[in-house]
Amino acid sequence: MAMLSFERKYRVRGGTLLGGDLFDFWVGPFFVGFFGVVGLFFTVLGTALVIYGAAIGPTWNVWQINIAPPDISYGLKLAPLKEGGLWQIITICALGSFVSWALREVEICRKLGIGYHVPVAFGMAIFAYFTLVVVRPFLMGAWGYGFPYGILSHLDWVSNTGYQYLHFHYNPAHMLAVTFFFTTTLALAMHGGLILSSTNPSKGETVKTPEHEDTFFRDTIGYSIGTLGIHRLGLFLALSAGFWSAVCIVISGPFWTQGWPQWWGWWLNLPVWR
Amino acid sequence: MKTILAVVGGALALFLTIAMFGGAGWTHPPMAVKQTGFRGTGMDLIRTRAGNEALAEANRAPAPADPADAGGDKASAVYENVQVLGDLSAEQFNRLMVSITEWVAPQQGCTYCHSTENMASDELYQKRVARRMLQMTQTINSTWKENHVHEAGVTCYTCHRGNPVPANIWFDHPVQGAGRFIPRNNSQNIASPEVGNTSLPYDVYQAFYQHKETSEDAVRVNATTALPETKGKPIQDAEKTFAIMISMSQSLGVNCTFCHNTRSVAQWDTSTPNRVHAWYGIRMVRELNQDYMTPLTSTFPRNRLGVLGDAPKINCATCHNGANKPLNGANVIGPYPELSHPTISASLPTGEAKDPIPGTNTPTPKPTQP
Amino acid sequence: MAYYQNIFTQVQVRPLVPDQGVPVAVDDRVGKPFNSYLFGLLGNSQVGPIYIGYIAALSITCGVIAFEIIGLNMWASVNWDPVQFVRQLPWLALEPPLPKYGLKVLPPLNEGGWWLIAGFFLTTSILLWWVHLYKRAKALGLGLHVPYAFASAIWLYLVLGFIRPLLMGSWSEAVPFGIFPHLDWTAAFSLRYGNLFYNPFHMLSITFLYGSTLLFAMHGGTILACSRYGAEREIDQIVDRGTATERAALFWRWTMGFNATMESVHRWAWWFAVLTTLTGGIGILLTGTVVDNWYLWAVKHGVAPSYPQVYGPIVDPAHLAPGPRP
Repeated sequence: MAMLSFERKYRVRGGTLLGGDLFDFWVGPFFVGFFGVVGLFFTVLGTALVIYGAAIGPTWNVWQINIAPPDISYGLKLAPLKEGGLWQIITICALGSFVSWALREVEICRKLGIGYHVPVAFGMAIFAYFTLVVVRPFLMGAWGYGFPYGILSHLDWVSNTGYQYLHFHYNPAHMLAVTFFFTTTLALAMHGGLILSSTNPSKGETVKTPEHEDTFFRDTIGYSIGTLGIHRLGLFLALSAGFWSAVCIVISGPFWTQGWPQWWGWWLNLPVWR
Repeated sequence: MKTILAVVGGALALFLTIAMFGGAGWTHPPMAVKQTGFRGTGMDLIRTRAGNEALAEANRAPAPADPADAGGDKASAVYENVQVLGDLSAEQFNRLMVSITEWVAPQQGCTYCHSTENMASDELYQKRVARRMLQMTQTINSTWKENHVHEAGVTCYTCHRGNPVPANIWFDHPVQGAGRFIPRNNSQNIASPEVGNTSLPYDVYQAFYQHKETSEDAVRVNATTALPETKGKPIQDAEKTFAIMISMSQSLGVNCTFCHNTRSVAQWDTSTPNRVHAWYGIRMVRELNQDYMTPLTSTFPRNRLGVLGDAPKINCATCHNGANKPLNGANVIGPYPELSHPTISASLPTGEAKDPIPGTNTPTPKPTQP
Repeated sequence: MAYYQNIFTQVQVRPLVPDQGVPVAVDDRVGKPFNSYLFGLLGNSQVGPIYIGYIAALSITCGVIAFEIIGLNMWASVNWDPVQFVRQLPWLALEPPLPKYGLKVLPPLNEGGWWLIAGFFLTTSILLWWVHLYKRAKALGLGLHVPYAFASAIWLYLVLGFIRPLLMGSWSEAVPFGIFPHLDWTAAFSLRYGNLFYNPFHMLSITFLYGSTLLFAMHGGTILACSRYGAEREIDQIVDRGTATERAALFWRWTMGFNATMESVHRWAWWFAVLTTLTGGIGILLTGTVVDNWYLWAVKHGVAPSYPQVYGPIVDPAHLAPGPRP
């Protein structure tokens, strides 16, 4: 029985959103629930289709496998299976699976009597993915603007889609997103490092307290955000990174068609110094 | 104090936000569709339908003049000092002159080039330049027909668009950073419209568009082997290449994926045929600048020259004007066969032009060093 | 139904006497602590005091000198025009020396000399700051995890601006100081070396960067979700597990079949963040020194996918047989 020593008392019934008691059980360490079943269905179908796509493709080389979206000429229609239709079904499966996972997390939160922060945060990632493969293609009028499913091929898509706007680094939302990614990583290093350094102090020292943590950051940068605040900050930074990533790509194309450096013309042409 | 700061800050933020949303040039769907590579590679032309229509509208070719009778006396017999188009009939000649006026100087009229007292006089520099430009047009439509301009061809209007001086020309940039404490800026790091408002090097036309003998490898910065085998090029060269590429993209109203699969910009086998056209286009620009524009340096008056005293020169934008096919790819040369091939073998630098009219003189252009 | 999700602090508690910091051997802290309402919404409201020893003072001085050199050079490049300085600021830069100077220690000031001086002061400032962090961690009896994590970031910085230029034999290979110019440099670097996306260490670095963000979202979310059970008291929970930790652990166990502990999640966090710059630095270091074209490298090793030909064969016109070439 894959249960932790304290786990049994937490395994209570209830808290489900759909299906009542029908799927309210565990398999090994996993909670199942209605959304576990739905999610499994989408995951298995999606994975099988990816494998099928690889099988009818030219290679089994894991780096090179590429499940590409349809040609732009198909617009928002369904494409034949081997010409992008697979990509369309896999996208539906992915979204179904992601959303099921988030809702299953909600059920687990309810079971454990904890807040919904994690499923909400995961929702931001789903939103970014949804923006990438549904919202933007929809706005541009063709599913073909979605990114291909493949380890290297999606990088090629990123490269080309970036160079569609000549120099993507000048995209202001991209700047924000990258800044948030870097800042999150910085904050994570500082938080992880601080907790580890308090609980793993120098030889011969006892475990330190939150007062030591506060003192370390006040001593060095004059401010310590505190034990609760750092998690709010970290969550905010991480969600911002995802949010601005979604923004930076959804404005590229539907709302901006030139090179991104040219966007800065508004700044250069402000009436105060034009 | 705090309140004042907050109000000022808020007002500033509001002002910047309005400018950002109102002044940047945002667009909105519906989009126009053009795919330039295999599906899912992200090789697409990104334009809105409205933008596409506006572009097409801005690049409409003018209706050609009605054909003229090829019979009758030749222009050279009827008029004096007709050096390039002497073989045309007088009627054909007049038709072309009228067209050129509409193409180049619709407001100024005939007298933009011709002396009112003597139409045959070479007194005005405009006329001497125009003669050379006729030869340039003929060269473009013949020498560069197969590889660049194709059946569409070019006329004066392709570049001039009703302006005596085409809108898109370039001059040499002076080198900045002469003072002791003024840093050399590498001719970069200033917002430059030539390179799409990036801070990339802005003197790239001089580097890439000026001389026919420009090395084949000037723009190629990628190593051709996976591992280092020879000394490679510095990052600064890559910045120059990137800058000239951005300039080309802007000139043609396209993006990098119009020609390249940017997963490896250097690879020809993954590029589109457009890249080959562009390659020849660069050679054409170099040839025209070296053989036609630069030799006119001494023919132009000072106010037509750049700050360094150099002649105006051309780049991709001069003809393309933001469209990947100038004038929407319309066949403009068909109705003007006299501009489609050289009509005299001698190249006519303005200085060697005969001065049959007493009292007029033509300055001799200095030969330029490549 | 609408539970309070602990997104911000509703009631800010402010002690009459602000916390002056843990008393240790060296603790002559400066500044009178004050409370900020805005900071208090998210975390602690107390700002200050701060400890500025001579090392931190030296570090800040060097940092200010570097900042001034860079700023004044930028200002000079617009001929000291204050309006243009503000207008062009994102475009301005202090460039490293040109390739012709190689590794010359001090080229003319306006041709890269200032860049070297600014780089020297900035590097000194950063290294001194590391020493400062190290000494503070020691003084407080803490482990050295924060300074070691900072060292990983310094590694990437040194690779970009010092080690790789040294190996390439030219300062010109380094990054310019400037907002847009360093972005141009980054793009040009990728273009020059055949697409950095094909650099496996770049792939790793991005993976750890995104992974770090994912981890912080997961960890931050979990702690906030369990904050009604006191999950934010992480040290307590590590040494004396409570129901907050148990619920946090079970959440992930039930979700993905695996859970970290209250302590090990911070080890995951630390390693992901540290590996971001560590692998990034390796990727930059190998570029140009060991591998000259990452795309060709990937083709050689069977990594690059091939796409069906859309057009006929496209050949380099420069390599065509010399025929009727215009």
